[in-house]
Amino acid sequence: MAWVHRLWLRLQSLFLRKGLAKELDGEMQFHLDELIAENIGAGMSREEARSAALRTFGNATALKEEAREAWGWTCLEQLLQDVRYAIRQLRKTPGFTATAVLTLALGIGANAAIFTLMDALMMRSLPVADPKTLVRLGDTSDCCVNSGSVENGSYALFSTEMYERLKKYAPEFEDLASMQAGFPYRPVVARRDGTQENARSVMGEFVSGNYFQTFGLRPAAGRLFSDSDDVKGAAMVAVMSYTAWKRDYAGDTSVIRSTFWINTKAVTLVGIAPEGFFGDRLSTSPPDFYLPIETHTLISNAPYVHDPDVRWLYIVGRVKPATQLGPLQEKTSVSVRQWLKETRTFSSTPDKSLPEKTHVVLTPGGAGIQDLREQYQSNLGLLMGASGLVLLIACANIANLLLVRGMRRKTEVSLRAALGAARNRIVRQLLTESVVLAGLGGIAGLAVAYLGARMLLRLAFSGAETIPIDPRPSVTVLGFAFALSLLTGILFGVAPAWMASQTNPSDALKSGVRGTTVGASLLQRSLVVLQAALSLVLLVGAGLFAQSLTKLQATDLKLDSRNRYIAHINPQGAGYSPRELETLYRTIEQRFHELPGVNRVGISNYTPMEENNWSNGVQVQGQPYSGRDASFIKANSEYFDSVGTHVIMGRGIRTQDVLAAPTVAVVNQTFVKDFLPNGENPIGRHFGSPLPPEANGDYEIVGVVEDSVYTSLRWKDHRMYFVPITQRPSSNKEPIDQDLSLYAGALVLQTQWPVNNMEEIARKTLAEINPNLAVVKFQTFDQQIADRFNHDRLVAQLTALFGGLALLLATIGLYGVTAYTVARRTSEIGIRMALGAPRGGVIAMVMRGAMSQTAIGLAIGILATLPCARLVESQLYELKGVNATALAASVLTLAVASSLAGLIPARRAASTDPAQTLRAE
Amino acid sequence: MGKPNGLVQGTLDLFILKTVALEPRHGWAIAKRIQQISRDVLQVQQGSLYPALHPLQQKAWIRAKWAETETGRRAKFYSLTAAGRVQLENEAANWDRLSSAINLVVQTS
Repeated sequence: MAWVHRLWLRLQSLFLRKGLAKELDGEMQFHLDELIAENIGAGMSREEARSAALRTFGNATALKEEAREAWGWTCLEQLLQDVRYAIRQLRKTPGFTATAVLTLALGIGANAAIFTLMDALMMRSLPVADPKTLVRLGDTSDCCVNSGSVENGSYALFSTEMYERLKKYAPEFEDLASMQAGFPYRPVVARRDGTQENARSVMGEFVSGNYFQTFGLRPAAGRLFSDSDDVKGAAMVAVMSYTAWKRDYAGDTSVIRSTFWINTKAVTLVGIAPEGFFGDRLSTSPPDFYLPIETHTLISNAPYVHDPDVRWLYIVGRVKPATQLGPLQEKTSVSVRQWLKETRTFSSTPDKSLPEKTHVVLTPGGAGIQDLREQYQSNLGLLMGASGLVLLIACANIANLLLVRGMRRKTEVSLRAALGAARNRIVRQLLTESVVLAGLGGIAGLAVAYLGARMLLRLAFSGAETIPIDPRPSVTVLGFAFALSLLTGILFGVAPAWMASQTNPSDALKSGVRGTTVGASLLQRSLVVLQAALSLVLLVGAGLFAQSLTKLQATDLKLDSRNRYIAHINPQGAGYSPRELETLYRTIEQRFHELPGVNRVGISNYTPMEENNWSNGVQVQGQPYSGRDASFIKANSEYFDSVGTHVIMGRGIRTQDVLAAPTVAVVNQTFVKDFLPNGENPIGRHFGSPLPPEANGDYEIVGVVEDSVYTSLRWKDHRMYFVPITQRPSSNKEPIDQDLSLYAGALVLQTQWPVNNMEEIARKTLAEINPNLAVVKFQTFDQQIADRFNHDRLVAQLTALFGGLALLLATIGLYGVTAYTVARRTSEIGIRMALGAPRGGVIAMVMRGAMSQTAIGLAIGILATLPCARLVESQLYELKGVNATALAASVLTLAVASSLAGLIPARRAASTDPAQTLRAE
Repeated sequence: MGKPNGLVQGTLDLFILKTVALEPRHGWAIAKRIQQISRDVLQVQQGSLYPALHPLQQKAWIRAKWAETETGRRAKFYSLTAAGRVQLENEAANWDRLSSAINLVVQTS
């Protein structure tokens, strides 16, 4: 039981430390007193006796510490002591502390915010079982329903047949699942049977029967799919997402086994997907319903489900343990190549290199289909760079502040050393102080990170219904932020601590009272120069992106968005067959025209300045096929007027251009320029698809329109043609019931005056025509156009933000160093003024020092912007290199800011009272 | 700073144990006694005693008690525990063996 006793003694020493220390003091004092008494007894004077006793006894302070160390808790005790002392020191200098914490918070917070996004977009896995063993077939974000060959030969999109074969002949996979690539572009219309609820347009994703099994998921309620749900003739079933279940049905289990009308087809809901599962990809529109692939034919009227030449599925599989991915990739590529040879696409392609370049790249599938990643990758890289620079500036600031502080405290440190403080203890204490400071900065940085990430997300996904990323920093991000702040603290705490440990107490004490008149050290000044240079780079970057955005927004889109509203619709989802569409469109036109103020009712498959794009290979009759394609729009007669596109030659689309009438087309100017380059009259010429051969006479050109912008302003030389929405060329031999191109996707309503409740009116009017005609999305044309600039606006805003931060930090840095220099030179300045130096002269002297650093910084910065501008050139719109405006504006901003930063200490210096300084001497 | 010159930690421990074996003594008395017995050969900074006292207490070889000195001042008196006595005997025996071995080596070679 001796160890219990010993433990007791040890614990006692922890909790009774104060008492023990007091006892020790008493003991030692008693000892010293006895020694002194003995010495006096031996005939020494009182003074002699005392110093002799101290010599015999040794360094009492150090011995006390040694004794405490023996109690075994010194480490902890000293740490607490150091921390307490550090906090006291920091509270004594609130200005310094606030500046340092703010600087760190902004630097660390900005980086942690960007890192949160990076982490969510780039690194986080899907919430599924063992994401590491998931593998995706393919490395591109090709979408949605494609036919024809893949230009670079890398396959990521597959036909149903190809998927089934791969599943059958790839024993390396435990499970191989497939999923609809383009579900976000094809919402479904859903309504629960037997309720009063309106038909709603929601997201539905068609997936293979083993989809949930592959991801290793268990249902939250009911059951998930099995292979038997995904066969021809099986009862139609659906699984609902947990989010939709909670949101729309408050988690009511009675929805399970109930009937839903999905695109007007009866489907039984069999279960709820697990909580947290948001599908196979990060998306702003996660699916509400999962449906088996086999039901896509009936529900979406999709004729391509079993067409071996139509690719519309992504494939993700789970490999068996210890599978070598290299050989598997080779094997998969060989199989795909082999099977593709049997398709029409391969046999009819003019590209002879197609078979050999065909391949499949296996990529990690744990994060799902990463199309969002691709979208944001270049921007995130840029933002990481910018925030990194801000952090660098922040670190330079901190270094400077700590250096200044370290020098100011030289006297204090020497005094403590002279009083018997152990040198390593002083160093440790100074280090603790900077680590505490960094820790405070780190905590404040987390707050900044959280708010920053929220703001970033709101900016990045403005207009989205669901933001798929949680702004709360993850453990990784927390670790990252704290590692960063600790590193900063240690790195910049070491320098002053080391300097302090080098001081000889007596030297420092002698000279410390009066500052040596040298100003800031070379290191400090270099840091200021560096800050100025870095912030110039960021400011120029911000200027360039702002210019780019202005240029984008000022570009004439050759559209008219005034008093225009766009309602996206889904007639297929409402149950219309292609034959019924002509009547539907007439009804829609008629009903909307009956509304007061409605001038034009455009109907088309998609509209200008949205993400959608349909394109086709084009061959002009009488010319060889050049391999070029053009985008096409299917539209009604009022479409051009409704979007504000002007017909500049011939005519537009007329109401007479119906299914039974000759097939005509209107083309844009770029189309004419590219396909009929020799000034030929385009009117009356014929063109069509290169295949089948007779198709190139399908359309007769009856008019030319100006180049309105579709999809993106960055798409230059966008060849387009426009055909009447209900017409089908004679070469199109597929049954009309399977012709999806007849389905309209959007209504464009142009009104006489602004109509605030147009959305409500449109929904009501459509529901009156057919309650299943749900509105998929409603926006004003202006909103739709503005959304296309979201990305550029985001980057411009963020670079401006980082530029501003950099400017602020650099200004603080310059101010700090100048103020420090002035403080150290107070006596010198006082003497100068006593000797007759004018106020203006003093101000000029201080300003010269500050501005010379800025000037050097600017010079270096200007040189640095040149290569940096080239790095971001690809992300700018029609801007090459650094232009004079951006550069001049940035230089001016920085110059003004730094003169302000210099002026405040300079004025303080000039207001020095010579008499007072001289007295202080 | 810290460790007394030419004195191994264990040796100082042995001195302390030996010194308090006869009667309870306070720090000052222990220091004096060590100096006396060693006839001033062992020049120790007297303060070094204090860091050494605590570990001995923690190992429960000595215990401390506040009491009055003969001059009427309060001081902390250290005395040997039973465990301390065993330890002292072991250490002393060890020391005997070691010193006679060293003697032997030094005298014969």
